Amino acid sequence: MTAPPEPVGTVHVVDPSPLNWLFITWNTMEEPIRIDEAGRVVYSLAESSEWLDERTLELQLRRGVRFQDGEHFTAHNIKQNFDEMQRWAAPHPPGTWLNFPAPESTAEVVDDHTLRFSFPGPDGLAIGKFRGFHIASSAFWNGKDAPGFGYKKFGSGEGHW
Amino acid sequence: MIDEPGPWGTGPFTLVQGASSITTRPAIMSAAPFRASSIIESEQRDPQVVLEANRDHWNRAARGPRIERAVFRNDLTPDEALRLVCDTEGEVDIVTEVSPADAQRVLDSAHARLVVSDANRVLVGILNRGSDAPLHDVEVRRALNRAIDREAVVDRGLNGYASVIPAMTPPWCSGFPAGVQPYELDAARAREAFAQAGWPPRRPLRIATPESFAAIAHILAAGIRSALDLMVEVVVVPPDQLPAGSRALIEKKLDLPWDVLLHPWFDLSSEAPPAAVHREFFGLDGAFRAGPPDDGFDALFDEMKVQLDGEALVEVAERIDAYVHDQALALFICAPQALYAVNEHVTFSPYKTTFELAEVTVDEQHWSVSGGRSDTGGGDLGDRTAIRPTSGKPTFSQASGNAC
Repeated sequence: MTAPPEPVGTVHVVDPSPLNWLFITWNTMEEPIRIDEAGRVVYSLAESSEWLDERTLELQLRRGVRFQDGEHFTAHNIKQNFDEMQRWAAPHPPGTWLNFPAPESTAEVVDDHTLRFSFPGPDGLAIGKFRGFHIASSAFWNGKDAPGFGYKKFGSGEGHW
Repeated sequence: MIDEPGPWGTGPFTLVQGASSITTRPAIMSAAPFRASSIIESEQRDPQVVLEANRDHWNRAARGPRIERAVFRNDLTPDEALRLVCDTEGEVDIVTEVSPADAQRVLDSAHARLVVSDANRVLVGILNRGSDAPLHDVEVRRALNRAIDREAVVDRGLNGYASVIPAMTPPWCSGFPAGVQPYELDAARAREAFAQAGWPPRRPLRIATPESFAAIAHILAAGIRSALDLMVEVVVVPPDQLPAGSRALIEKKLDLPWDVLLHPWFDLSSEAPPAAVHREFFGLDGAFRAGPPDDGFDALFDEMKVQLDGEALVEVAERIDAYVHDQALALFICAPQALYAVNEHVTFSPYKTTFELAEVTVDEQHWSVSGGRSDTGGGDLGDRTAIRPTSGKPTFSQASGNAC
């Protein structure tokens, strides 16, 4: 297998979009899925998904992924990020439509690379909502100086995911 | 959003300097069930936000990153950035959200080329179905849709950089209903329907618009005046009044001072436009719904959102777009394209819904490889700044911001 080319060069970008905060997040963090050039959902930190029944969604997670600080990515990261997100009434700036109903929605670690979500009812938009479910390292959340999504700056995650 | 640099993610780049953030305030639509959205009150960007390649990225072979660094320069206005990308080397390589009014300047540039992409965004007129004008009447809404010349808006208002679409779903997205056509300009039919609707005498139609779409508002107003023999007022909303107007629209507690509000919006994917687009304009929890809930729309949306089978979900999405078209729930205008000015030595492939850098490359003639000079690196540019459009040119850099 040929090694990928080494990154070369610097580009200077001017991006007036009010979504720039989100573009910075999407270029540096990842989610279970991402959106490709054509706008289609493709798996990212997840490799596959399956509805086990109408309320239970299981994700198989990608192996061999590391956070930029060297931490190995596992299902425990997904659960931690999900549990943090569920603490807030309106974490996403676009609105509560991106929420997973709390407290009924839960995430359960099956093994290091399998995670099972339980929702109060069938949610056909769940996979798409994962686009707003950014997965950060443990260091992003743990410790008094950890930034969290708005935790250090505002003391709250409301409207800051 | 990320408030400080650090190795927080798994993505193709690491945020190593600066941050780009917004301050939001919740706007509550209902307490039980809790429904809310956020109003963007302010934006905080460091003068330079720097991303460095994550050489350990799991998908490096397929996607990248291909460049070592990306520097977001927030110390420039869009006009300054456009001048630099068009006229210089080493200052600016990519400018997003280029106004159609500036496209020719890029096309004429020796240093930059224009990259044009169909994007998942719409420009619509929100119809205030709760106003004292009879916009609750579907025939009035249809008449307005038959009174406007969409091709003129695209040609004269956006220099051709947009597509006319029937309703809210572009044809390249799932959920585009086959057979549904855009409302055609038909002044006679529109006037006949409008005459039967009982529009109050001497009551003007009030079109509100952010500054960037004022020219388009005037094109629409002229068309409606001509087709319907109706007084039309255009109200340009100053930027400092956007947050208050947005709150009034989202919370739905106050009478809105307009009948039609021009508003651009965007989608998060091409998979199910009603989730992020139609719902926002017409749904029970729609931030931009102006007027009472629409039971027909809500029933369809409730049907769609529980579909776990993708094909079944798309089938309902098609019916939703056909429904809002039939009911003329908005003044449907067009799907604007996204325009970028890109240095000639940079390859950049646009995404329809986002701005991604992993696949960007530079060639051997690029200033950063050939030893060219850049004056932007490492300088202390002061405190956090904000980058905002400085003119009234049409721009979709507000497409994800507040509606007023």
